[in-house]
This record gives sequence, C-alpha cells and structure tokens, in this order.
Amino acid sequence: MKTVKLVVVMLTALAICGVFAGGSGETPADGAKELHLWFHGGTADETEAMRDQIKRFNDSQDGYVVVMTEIPGGAVAGSGYNDSVNAAAVAGDLPDILDLDGPNLYNYAWAGYLEGLDGYMSEQLRSELLPSLIDQGTYRGKIYAIGQYDSGLSLVGRVSLLKKAGVRIPRSIDDAWDLDEFVAALKALQALPEVEYALDCKMNYGAGEWMTYAFSPVLQSFGGDLIDRDTYQSAENILNGPKSVKAMNFLQWIFENGYSVVSPPDDNEFVNGKAALGWMGHWVWKGYHDKFGDDVVAIPMPDFGSGAVTGMGSWAWAVSSQSKHPEGAWKFLEYILQPEEILAITDINGAVPGRSTALEKSTLFGNGGDLNIFVQQLQKGVAVPRPKTPGYPAITTAFYTAMDNIIKGSDIQSELDAAVDAIADDIRQNNGYPVQ
Amino acid sequence: MRRKTHSLQANQRTYAWLMGLPGIVMLITFVVLPLLLGAFWSLTNKRLISPVPTQFVGFENYRNLLSIKTLQVEQDNPEKIREILRNDSEYRGYRELFRMKGPHGTRLVLASDVVFLKSLRNTIIFVLFIVPGQGGAALILALLVNRKIRGRNFYRATYFAPVVTSMAVIAIVWSFLYNPSQGVINVLLKKMTFGKVSDIGWLVDVRYALPAIIIVSAWQATGFQMVIFLAGLQNIPVHLYEQAGIDGAGEFQRFRYITFPQLRNTTIFVVISTTILAFRVFTQIDVMTHGGPENSTSSVVYYAVEQGFRQQRIGYGSAITMIFFVFVLGVALLQNFLLKSEKAID
Repeated sequence: MKTVKLVVVMLTALAICGVFAGGSGETPADGAKELHLWFHGGTADETEAMRDQIKRFNDSQDGYVVVMTEIPGGAVAGSGYNDSVNAAAVAGDLPDILDLDGPNLYNYAWAGYLEGLDGYMSEQLRSELLPSLIDQGTYRGKIYAIGQYDSGLSLVGRVSLLKKAGVRIPRSIDDAWDLDEFVAALKALQALPEVEYALDCKMNYGAGEWMTYAFSPVLQSFGGDLIDRDTYQSAENILNGPKSVKAMNFLQWIFENGYSVVSPPDDNEFVNGKAALGWMGHWVWKGYHDKFGDDVVAIPMPDFGSGAVTGMGSWAWAVSSQSKHPEGAWKFLEYILQPEEILAITDINGAVPGRSTALEKSTLFGNGGDLNIFVQQLQKGVAVPRPKTPGYPAITTAFYTAMDNIIKGSDIQSELDAAVDAIADDIRQNNGYPVQ
Repeated sequence: MRRKTHSLQANQRTYAWLMGLPGIVMLITFVVLPLLLGAFWSLTNKRLISPVPTQFVGFENYRNLLSIKTLQVEQDNPEKIREILRNDSEYRGYRELFRMKGPHGTRLVLASDVVFLKSLRNTIIFVLFIVPGQGGAALILALLVNRKIRGRNFYRATYFAPVVTSMAVIAIVWSFLYNPSQGVINVLLKKMTFGKVSDIGWLVDVRYALPAIIIVSAWQATGFQMVIFLAGLQNIPVHLYEQAGIDGAGEFQRFRYITFPQLRNTTIFVVISTTILAFRVFTQIDVMTHGGPENSTSSVVYYAVEQGFRQQRIGYGSAITMIFFVFVLGVALLQNFLLKSEKAID
C-alpha cells in the first residue's frame, strides 16, 4: 500500500512540474503565427531599439508575432552567443530568425542550417544594399544573411593634439597616411606631454575576434593574408610568408616600444586622454564625439604598402532552414531593412547604414558627414571580408592566438608557423571542407 | 512471521530503488552516457556542425595529442631548424616543446600538439601549488578563527564570502586588480617596495600569468576548506588539551601532537577534494587569460572546451577528455592508496 502511495505522490509531483513547465509558453493572439528570434546581447540601447522594431513590426500586421530572446555575451568574441547558436543548431532548436556575426555565417550555411534568401529578395533591395553586405552574406553564390548595417575601422585622433604634434590629418581615403607617415605620427604624438602613449589598440578586448577583425587588415595592407583565398585550403607561405611576418613585426614594434599597451584597463584610454590615437571600430565613435565634440576626427586607415585595408562585416540577419514560416521570417527582415528602420538602429549603435536610401539620410555617414570615410572604405574596395569558409573559426583562433603572443614578445615566425599548422590541421580533419 | 520479514525486505528493496532512482537516472544520463559517447567519439573526426558524415579514424586523435619526437641539430640556427621542420615530411606539423643543450649540439623535443602537453603541465603545476597552498592557508585561517576572539563570526563570514561568490565575477574583479599600470596590486607593491617592484604584467607575462591564476583560485576557495578544518577542530575533545596543559605542553607541542594528528581524517578529505576540484580549473582561465600568453595558463579542461566546442572538433575534444579522465583516475587511485596505507599504520 505504502509503495502505491509513494508512487502516487511522485507522479503527482511530476504532473505538477509538467503543468508549470507547459504553462510558461505564450500563445499568440488570433491565430497569428509565432516567429522566434534570437538577438545577440548588444548594448542596452541597441536591445531597446531592437525591441521597438519588433513591436512596430508586430503592430503593423496580423499574420505573425515575433518573440525575441536576447542571449548575452554577443559583443565579446568566442562568447556565449556563438556557443548557444552552435548548441541549438546541433539540437535542431534554432529559432526562425537569428543574427550572426559576419564570418560565422559560412559554417552554418555550409552545414545547411540556413535558408537561402535570394528567392525572397526584391531586385530593388538588392541594388540598394551596400555591396559589402551582399559580399559578406554570400556563400558559394547564394545569399544567406543580410545586415541592417555594416562595420568599419578607422583611426581616430584629436585635431588639437595632431596639430600640436605637427601631424597632417588625412580627410579622405585617397590621401591616407603611408607607413613612414604613420610611424612619424606615432613618434610625434608619443612625445606630447599631454598623453601617456600614442595609440590605443583596445587590447582590453583580449585574444579574440577583435584582433582578427582589426589587425588582419594590417597583414593585408602589408601584402599578406590569413589564407589562400582562391582555394581556402592552405595558409602556407601566406600567413607565415615574408609579407605577413613584416606586418607582425611592425605590430610587435608598436607594442615593444611603448607606442601602445598590451593590457589597457578598459575601453576608455582614448576618451580619458591617455592615448593620442585610437584604432577604432565605428561603435565607439559616439562616445568619443560626445566627449571631445568637433576636436575628434576619424582618420582613414593607413596604407602600409599594398593599399589601405579595413575590416568589414557585422551582425547580420539570417533565417533558419528549420523554420516553419520562412516567408514570415522574410517579411520581418524586409520590414527592418526599410531605410527608417535601419536608421532607427544605426542612430543608436553608430554603424554604417546598410542601404543607400538610408545612407542618404544619415548626417553622420552621408556626404560630408564625420564618418563618411567609412562609407568610402566600404564602397571602394578598401574593406576586405574575413575569409569566407566554414573553417573560419579555426583561422581566426589561430591568428588571434599568434597575434596575442606576438605583441607580448613571442618569436614571430614560429608563432605564424604554428598558426598555419593549426589551420592546416583543421582543414585536414574536415577533409578540406568539401562542397555538399 | 517469516513471510512478514520477507515482505518487509522486499518492501525496503523497492523503496531503496525508488529513492535511488532519480540519482541513478541522472548519473547514467549525465555521467555514464557522456563518458561512453566521449570514448566512442574520440575515435572519430566528428565535427559539431558539419554536413559531412563522421568518419572513424582509429587512434589518430590520440596520436596527434601525444606524439613526441626529438631532433638533433649541431648548430642552434633558427632558420636551419625552421627549414627542417617545415620541409621534412617526418617533422611536418611538429612544434618545439623545449630544447636541451648538450656537448654535441642542441636536442629539440618536438610535439605534434604542444598546447595539449603545455596544458597538461600547467594543470599539474596548478594542482601541485593549490593543494598544499590552499590547504595550508585554510588550516591557518581555521586555527585563527577558532580562537576566542571578539567578532570571530565576522572573520569567519569574511573568509567564507569568496566561496559563495561566482568565480566569473571574482575573475573579472581580479582582472582589474591585476592591471599592470593601474591595478591595486601593483600600486601597493610599488608603494611597499619604494618603487623597486613595479609594473608586473600579472596576466600578460608568461612568468606571472599562471601564478596569478593560482593566487586568485586559492583566494577564492580557501574559505571552503577553512570551514571543513574548523569543523574538524571543534570535534577535538577539549580534555586532550587540558591534559596536555597539565603535562606542560606548549602551544606548538599542542598543535604538533594533538591538533594535527586529530585532524588527520579532515586533512585527507581536504586533500582529496581539493585535488579533484583543482583539476577542473576552467572559469578563471576562460575569463582572465583565454589560456594565454603563449598557452602559459591553458588548462586541460580549458583546452578541451576550446577544441571540442569552440573549434567544433568534438572528436579531438573527446580524446583530450578521455586522456584526462584516465590521468585523474590514476591520481585519485594513487592518493587513495597512499592515504589509506597511512591510516593502517595508525
């Protein structure tokens, strides 16, 4: 009897748990279809803007209700968001709509987790998108993700300091500094009593995607690269070739001579006035401008010999191939890709609006705007996408590990050799990432 | 009568199973099953996200992880050595682990996965420092807060506070403390040594990164062992001390001949539990150093997560954890054997 009682008690307990677990889901009103959306935890303002966009979309039509889940850690590389997406992809639990950071896209596309978007996209939209967005979102001829905005790099400086140090301020990508001029600028600025050191490289972000994003352009501007971009099968003699070695030599020189520091305490070295120049992603501009006003100026990336190069690619929206309502998901993407919706988010995060019709309306990026050089960089081929291969995670890890060691004083050639071997190992393990 | 006993036994057996069931189910689901899956996957090239079917690769992952070769060179010429390492197919993919200088030139010890071996070394160093360091500190703290002093509950709570704080939070706070130019630790060191010690690159210098991690870890967990020691101390009968007092034993003698021997079982527990916990070191490394600089803080668990999950190489990651499993099992068995035999002498 007692056994029976116990079993009854346990079953009741289980049933209660089940009721609570089952009761937590929201049911959409009036038979509207629910679309789940994952958003990498951006800044609080960005998330708020995203939430507003979703609300506007939900109010604008009756067919679909978008439900957002914010997954934290997205802003930091190698972080929780990617881990969550990986786990969900394996478990078959991907949401209908998700945002992916540029180069992570190809692995998911290769593995078949993403819906091709070509069939949904109108000719007009395609023609108005920044070419860099299409480039970054395309894998093997098909487009899998579209960003509302793109990103870019530049240097940032203060007019007053640059003038005092007697450094020329380039205003467009055509008169960017060359290597000698950049070195001279570092030396002149370092000598100023107002600042502690010349260049903030934001190494407080640590060994991670920032390093690949921000400093693989230095490789490319020296004529090197991360991998052979024709085949994506080998990095031998490219990542460890003489040109890449020269580039890393230059970076090591910057740190070893104190022109930059390997572990700044936080993101504010430029804003605090400790560093004279900043290696800047667009996302920090607003804070800088708020602090220094018109004294702050964006300076195009220097040309180290093989042309100026900047990074590109940002968070972009993709639709899961597991989605039951891809047409609804696309409807949402189309909605947030309207010029005013793009501006609603880029006004907050300071990114480059991804559509020409939005760009025209932007005071920051439009002709004559403070950050117009970012648009020039993206439109005129200065921006180079990170390698478009499913093996990207191995490539970026190999590079930022090597770079982290190099700026802390390791032997350059052997670090780059190790990176090449790590990439080769990954490619071999995956049988060369065969096309399916 | 007989029947009744039988049914009682049967009844109890049912209860035993019922009570044990949740635990057993969880153990099988979260320990036994993953272990078996890991053992199987370690023999394959399984990738986390891939359209390519998984292939059986035998012991290749293990070979990759553990292969070591030596190379004798007459002259210590980096360019020559590089030429051999990159062009000779026998040494392809091998990297220098360390070198020994001898009368007939230099002998290079090469490994195909230097990072794994370094991670293993780092983990062992970590455990070797943490177990005596943290245990010793815990014992001293326990002796201090066991005294009848004013506000001792305050001290107990203070020393225990880091234990209930998340390691991720502690790691972030300590990253600030460790900052070379502005962190409190360097500022204090500079003041205390009148400027002789300054600007130690705690988390960025190969020499200091692992010690820095060890210090944080010990600081965080000592409170836990302190509480266990404290419980042990309070179990020691007071009359032993009273008798020793009559015999004229001093403070040190009381500790040496009463406290320490009486704490033997507590100490054994602390040593074994600390060892097992220390082998798991991951969070502080993930937050503070990402295993760098130059892999000087990479631990085996960190490397397994890095390879298996972030690099998506499930097969390789599984092989790492299988090797580690065997290693930790060996250490645990050895400890068990050594500590037990000591008990038998008693």
